[in-house]
Amino acid sequence: MNIRCISLQQHNAAMNMALDEALTESIGSGVAPATLRFYTWSPPAISIGYFQSLTEEVDSEECKKNKIDLVRRMTGGGAVFHDKEITYSFIVKENNPLIHKDLLKSYQHICGAIVYGLSQFGLGAEFAPINDILVGGKKISGNAQTRKNKCILQHGTLLLDVDVDNMFSLLKVPNEKLKGKLIAEVKERVTSMRHCLGRLVTPEEMQQALLKGFQKTFPVPFFDGTISPSELQKALMLKTTKYLNRQWLELR
Amino acid sequence: MKSIYKVPRGKLIRVDCVLDQERNEKIKAIKITGDFFCHPEEKFNAIEQGLYDTYFEEAALLEKIKKIIHEEKLSILGFSPEDLAKAILLCTPMCKP
Repeated sequence: MNIRCISLQQHNAAMNMALDEALTESIGSGVAPATLRFYTWSPPAISIGYFQSLTEEVDSEECKKNKIDLVRRMTGGGAVFHDKEITYSFIVKENNPLIHKDLLKSYQHICGAIVYGLSQFGLGAEFAPINDILVGGKKISGNAQTRKNKCILQHGTLLLDVDVDNMFSLLKVPNEKLKGKLIAEVKERVTSMRHCLGRLVTPEEMQQALLKGFQKTFPVPFFDGTISPSELQKALMLKTTKYLNRQWLELR
Repeated sequence: MKSIYKVPRGKLIRVDCVLDQERNEKIKAIKITGDFFCHPEEKFNAIEQGLYDTYFEEAALLEKIKKIIHEEKLSILGFSPEDLAKAILLCTPMCKP
């Protein structure tokens, strides 16, 4: 088995999520091989988890004012501010022998690629169940899985830099009075490549390191690939009908 | 009635729940949101729908939640049936500002 690697592309939030879903369809039906994709988001965006309430989690007005895209993911998990980060998605058929059947073990296995990628920078990272990766005890990466169209999809974010104050201006907090305290706590619990290394790491540099991590974790040939015309067509359709649709955004 | 419960070593559960007006003892509508995982995602609604008319007390909630998870073959990461029952029971009437 070979793994197609689709190098860094930048799209808006709806297109990024539509591409991930379109790839599960072609991979699940056996038309396309297992795929590793790297991407960034422009404009910056907040993605919320499948089960999150839009109104409880996000200040939509503030996002609109700041030209921040909003999208609901097909995966569970929490809200992510996609700015100064790199996102990957890794999609394989669910019967692929490379992947552990047990959910938590498959998270740990795939997250191993990220941990190894971080080690390329001399950083000692660890997987923290359920779906986080920590450096020095602080979160640097969040990951989410779904099993859809006979595929396992795991996508995740890795923070290159982080501005917690800016992030909280876009998110709602359960208790406004405790907002200051909450922000201080998150600053204590979250880190980024810039914080760890004292310099900016580009998405391209991070992609190289993460690719090495995936190659180490999944010892099969990787090849440079592209998104096929039919995958792109499917993604454009999903972008319009699903990910830009208010009904999907306001699902919960 | 609403609650927010952060499961120790698990995820955050938010519950919004309405009880019957006559006796205040059965669930008439419930919405469960949060940063947890459930596969398949589309079937999670079965929990919310299945809790209709369930007594607002631990044993009844737990029995119903376990039954639905089993019947619908749901895999949930981030909370156990006990955690969800607890989150529901933590619901209190909202204070109006």
